Amino acid sequence: MFNPHKLARLSPSRLSSLNGQCIRRLQSTVPSSGEAEPPPAGGHLPSIATSAFLRPTRDSALRLPGLRWIDNEIPGSISSSKEGAGDIAGRETRKMNMYQAVRDAMSIALMKDDTAVIFGEDVAFGGVFRCTMGLAEEFGRERVFNTPLTEQGIAGFGIGLASMGQTAIAEIQFADYIFPAFDQIVNEAAKHRFRSGGQFGVGSLTIRCPTMSVGHGGLYHSQSPEGFFMGAAGLKVVIPRSPIQAKGLLLASIRDPNPVIFMEPKILYRSSVEQVPIDDYELPLGKAETLIKGSDLTVLTWGTPIYHCESAIHMLSSPPSSLAHHIPASLRSAKIELIDLRTILPWDVETITESVKRTGRLVIVHEASRTAGVGAEISAEIQKRCFLKLNAPVRRVTGWDTPVPMQYEKFYIPDSLRILDAIVDTLQY
Amino acid sequence: MFRIFRTNLQVQTLRRGVATSSIQTNPQLPSHSYGHLPTSQSPITSTLHFFNSVMPDGKQIPTYRVLNGDGQVLDGAELPEIDEALARKMYEQMVQLPIIDNLLYNVQRQGKISFYMTAHGEEATLIGSAAALNNSDEVLGQYREMGVLLWRGFGYDSVMAQCFGNYEDTSSKGKQMPVHFGSRKYHFHPISSPLATQIPQAAGVGYAIKRDPLRRGKNCAVVYFGEGAASEGDFHAGMLLASTVPSPTLFIARNNGFAISTPASEQYHGDGIAARGPGYGIDTVRVDGNDVLAVLSAVREARRRCLEQGRAVLVEAMTYRVGHHSTSDDSFAYRPRQEVEDRKRIDNPIARYKKFLESRGWWNESEEEELKDRIKKEVMKAFRRGENLRRPELKEMFSDVYGGEEPWNLKEQREELKALLKKYGGDWEPWKKELKKFKGEGKEFIE
Ligand SMILES: Cc1ncc(C[n+]2csc(CCOP(=O)(O)OP(=O)(O)O)c2C)c(N)n1
Ligand SMILES: [Mg+2]
Repeated sequence: MFNPHKLARLSPSRLSSLNGQCIRRLQSTVPSSGEAEPPPAGGHLPSIATSAFLRPTRDSALRLPGLRWIDNEIPGSISSSKEGAGDIAGRETRKMNMYQAVRDAMSIALMKDDTAVIFGEDVAFGGVFRCTMGLAEEFGRERVFNTPLTEQGIAGFGIGLASMGQTAIAEIQFADYIFPAFDQIVNEAAKHRFRSGGQFGVGSLTIRCPTMSVGHGGLYHSQSPEGFFMGAAGLKVVIPRSPIQAKGLLLASIRDPNPVIFMEPKILYRSSVEQVPIDDYELPLGKAETLIKGSDLTVLTWGTPIYHCESAIHMLSSPPSSLAHHIPASLRSAKIELIDLRTILPWDVETITESVKRTGRLVIVHEASRTAGVGAEISAEIQKRCFLKLNAPVRRVTGWDTPVPMQYEKFYIPDSLRILDAIVDTLQY
Repeated sequence: MFRIFRTNLQVQTLRRGVATSSIQTNPQLPSHSYGHLPTSQSPITSTLHFFNSVMPDGKQIPTYRVLNGDGQVLDGAELPEIDEALARKMYEQMVQLPIIDNLLYNVQRQGKISFYMTAHGEEATLIGSAAALNNSDEVLGQYREMGVLLWRGFGYDSVMAQCFGNYEDTSSKGKQMPVHFGSRKYHFHPISSPLATQIPQAAGVGYAIKRDPLRRGKNCAVVYFGEGAASEGDFHAGMLLASTVPSPTLFIARNNGFAISTPASEQYHGDGIAARGPGYGIDTVRVDGNDVLAVLSAVREARRRCLEQGRAVLVEAMTYRVGHHSTSDDSFAYRPRQEVEDRKRIDNPIARYKKFLESRGWWNESEEEELKDRIKKEVMKAFRRGENLRRPELKEMFSDVYGGEEPWNLKEQREELKALLKKYGGDWEPWKKELKKFKGEGKEFIE
């Protein structure tokens, strides 16, 4: 177990040098003007500040399941929550929101890998979401640079760099604007290894983009296009839910031997805050994480809706008085399992199948439209694998099959009530 | 070797002119009716010469200007045909833009609308070009072209309706973000946030006009875009199609120096956007975008050529984005405040034009106050009205996805939402609150 006194026993000079380090890194993440980013996105999610999934203390942050330290001194050393306090002694954390955690991951990538470069529209001044703040100043314009305004160019350029074995970290300013790059990503990046008989490959390419809704983005600032990439064998698609997750998953994505589309839910950039380990660490790709253990129904989601699902599960057991009459007393003690899929492609079929075989019920939640969304693929596979164990059809809570309509977004994007209703319905089926 | 080769060529093609049928014993470059190359009339040269400019001697493309900074006509410049009434209308239209922009910018800051983009500094480019067009020319804008719509009579109420997304918003029934205007009536195609997508579309619009006997030779397609958007593949696609197919399409590049934080110097290495026109074989002009009379002249002539040739013409208007990119941006994070202040002071397009009008006796200070007062009052009136109107009916969320018969999935999903609203609409506070914002409060769903 973690022993708080152990830290105190560190020599004061070691402590101050650690602090010095983190202060220096922190300073370059502080916006110079305070508001070079979109407005606080129409209010932060009501549930996020209080979410039990965010790790507000050093101890909880360092005990993250699946966390793998990447220490140059001790190559391959693995630490997990099961191991003793020795593994986290001397590990520091710092309070970061998600854009700072993304920046921290990229700063480590640049520091440790001389071939790594970061590029995209407006990244040199820090990016419109502030994820590259100070990196150009710290690492130079040769390594962190603006591109002209061309997404197909950015993706193609990244493929070229990666095909030469160098590390390319590209930013597409919004997931909504990834479509000009669709050909480069789907026809080129995804197929590069395959079409060269394994001689070439662009595994060192990572394409980051902000995704999902903020409440008032409408057609072109609220989309969740992950589903469009689901059929692109050869690609990986990753969506983190929080600062700690973003850092670990991004570092894993950058180093994964496959091209990765890394989609960052933009409402979480500022609204999700955690103590984030300052050392280099990775979280596994292709692995879902069970956030709440349960036995009666599985809720599967990723990104922003995680927090709506958390509220919905909470409301099921203790509904607000205005909703109480909608929630039969017999259901309130139902044990709901909540899983964060984290990697959309290739998805963790084992964890989901195991869970649904136990619970017999599955509700999938995503912001994208229903038809041919990621939920469709997962439903088909799970219904095949769990057919005899299912007590209810797989249920999908999604955006409607329309483009995202700005003024109507609150009735378009699944919220905690729609999720709650689907849970109740599925439990009663 | 090379000498002999060249001599052969000269003998064969220059002296004898056309290809002969005489049997050659040595291999020869084929000659051709196009000249010396199979598919080109490119003259043959013996000088190894690289070039990197569309102007002779590597000079930059010049910028056409009519009025100097003091609003006086430059030596040798020709005034466009303009009478007092048109001149005054242009001025009034320019003056109204910052008034609306300041109001809506501040209103966004107060959280009353979700987003806004100003056109500070680009008033002359917008109004000068709008005035040069026929009001029924089809316009495809980027997002900063509200001035063109207002010129055509769109009106403040329509602007407010769109920005507030209320039930009078005919642009998109509240579905798009603010400044995403669109109007069939005013021949203004709906704005789309993905950059440059409108550019090849404009080539198609131009072709449709050409095929329409009632509009052929009378109208053209007009596409506006920023110098940043011109880096997208779609820009090249559009230029290529409208020059090659061809189609009467007028390309107006607003080169305002920035694409969000990225300065134009990082957007291209060549001589701006204008240098690309000759690459597509089209007539091209660069104009001082802060000189409304120069813009008027240049766009009039560009339009005339566009109609006459039935082919693309390119205008690059040089201006400066005085405002922040949008309400989501603080431009002092990437450019010095002083630079902006200097620009504003040195060259305000409205002030420059006003001096011209005054020198003609077409405008005076007392009219200035009257005008600004009147516009402010009208804008405020429209603002108050727009602010207080509700959103469209909630059911509109599902409208306009398809024409013709609505597919089953949409029908079912509408029913799904209806059932949810019936069940929880009165009990769930966030929905109750939200429903009040819609015309009819969602009753069409609940009852
Ligand atoms: C395809 C696409 N990529 C990125 C963006 C994000 N974006 C919106 S405006 C803008 C800058 C455009 O600059 P410019 O074309 O010069 O027009 P200006 O804003 O200067 O009028 C960017 C990058 C977008 N809307 N669409
Ligand atoms: Mg620009």
